[in-house]
Amino acid sequence: MQLNIEFMKRAFIASLGAVPITLELTFITMVVSSVLGFLLALKKMDKKKNRFVDAYISFVRGTPIVLQILFFYSLLPTTLNYVLNVVLGLGIKVFDIDPIIYAITVFCLNTTAILTEVFRSALSSIGYGQMEAALSVGMTNWQAMRWIIIPQGLISALPNICTTTVNVLKSTSLAYMMTVQDVMAVAKKEASYGYNYIEAYLVVLFIYIILCVVIQLIFREAEIIAAEYKRGRAVTQKTFSRRWSYVKVKKYT
Amino acid sequence: MLKLKNIHKSFGNNEILKGVDLEVKKGDIIVILGPSGSGKTTLLRSINFLEKADQGTMDFGDIHTSLAKASKKDIYNVRKRIGYVFQNYNLFANKTALENVTEGLIIAHKYPKEKARVKALNALRQVGLEDRADFYPSQLSGGQQQRVGIARAIVSEPEVVLFDEPTSALDPELVGEVLNVMKKLARAGITMIVVTHEMSFAESAANEVIFMDEGVVVEKGTPKEIFSHPKDPRTEQFLRRIINVDYQYAI
Repeated sequence: MQLNIEFMKRAFIASLGAVPITLELTFITMVVSSVLGFLLALKKMDKKKNRFVDAYISFVRGTPIVLQILFFYSLLPTTLNYVLNVVLGLGIKVFDIDPIIYAITVFCLNTTAILTEVFRSALSSIGYGQMEAALSVGMTNWQAMRWIIIPQGLISALPNICTTTVNVLKSTSLAYMMTVQDVMAVAKKEASYGYNYIEAYLVVLFIYIILCVVIQLIFREAEIIAAEYKRGRAVTQKTFSRRWSYVKVKKYT
Repeated sequence: MLKLKNIHKSFGNNEILKGVDLEVKKGDIIVILGPSGSGKTTLLRSINFLEKADQGTMDFGDIHTSLAKASKKDIYNVRKRIGYVFQNYNLFANKTALENVTEGLIIAHKYPKEKARVKALNALRQVGLEDRADFYPSQLSGGQQQRVGIARAIVSEPEVVLFDEPTSALDPELVGEVLNVMKKLARAGITMIVVTHEMSFAESAANEVIFMDEGVVVEKGTPKEIFSHPKDPRTEQFLRRIINVDYQYAI
């Protein structure tokens, strides 16, 4: 067996053209889900139990994403069509909507649930002593959250947000099931002309690795800069000593 | 100035405070002693509403309220007028020493930033840490952290400062620097209620010592009265135990 290098070059260039779609899917999903997930996490921090949020999170965590995609991609257009055109009679061509909208909706539904748990665990990892200290200097509950708990919580959520982002990026490869022309879909299409699937998959593999590595590097830098206040801690300093010195050089020269 | 009556507090079926009264006059240095589990810390926390007492009343300047049903406004007002020093410092981990001190002024007391800074630097000077203003808590020693905690508690010029075992989380050699700061504040006339096991501090700085056991005030008086002539056998027993420990350290 021999790899068709000529094809791989072609496929690589074609797939690169679809990288913006993959990034767009990831970026919009992460932004929307972060906002929603954060609000739901705050809601979950309340002592009152919220059955709806719990049920939603269980549903997302308890079903495979492929199933979620197939389910919503079948359900959403038909339901929308029914509501908008049959009930409301608006005459909107639901089936002409860009499939990327459906893809974003499904990924947001999925990611919001995951980020809710990420934010909740990060916020509750901030010791209650911080809250009490803030209250003791006269802050209200909300001021204490806003100025003391949330800023620390967001920083400790960063590693998990990074993991989630990478996971979302990888899940977007399933968007081809909704006919979205992302990296995966384009590569598959290229391959189908001459059955060069192995080569196509190699190319896609390479592109995803590059994208994921870049994302992780960005988050790592962000973490180091954001967690400046942890610099004095012996353990952290040991683990990141090389990078700390980098930050110091950058800051003080 | 601060008068608390008949404080009761239970956690589940465990009654921690069984009707404690406390009266504080301006300039008082009150030291509360007692074995662990006697309710000293719960008492302090109830004063500041970090713990909601089940029963009891508070008269604090112009604030007259029940402890169990205090309004939010009263609670915030009381907290703004009472400083609190925690056993394990509880400095805001994401703020520098200076920001730790200014944060309450800016956010709760609505001070303009520059004015808060000046005031905070002044407070840090009082605890001898002006040169550590830009350090994060993780870069400070335990004793330094606790002194920042004290600066944070006194910066808004509260009428009373509560100290909850301020030295018990510290290495023995760091206890001195914190106690010295506290003695300095005592001499400056700041009203303090201190829960501590530091007998030397009680003897030299306090003008009233309260001995608590099992949720009630067993005995109170001047340090001399309590240490030299304890009336209650429980006080005597407790003091003997503590002083024995001190003796062992001396060896």
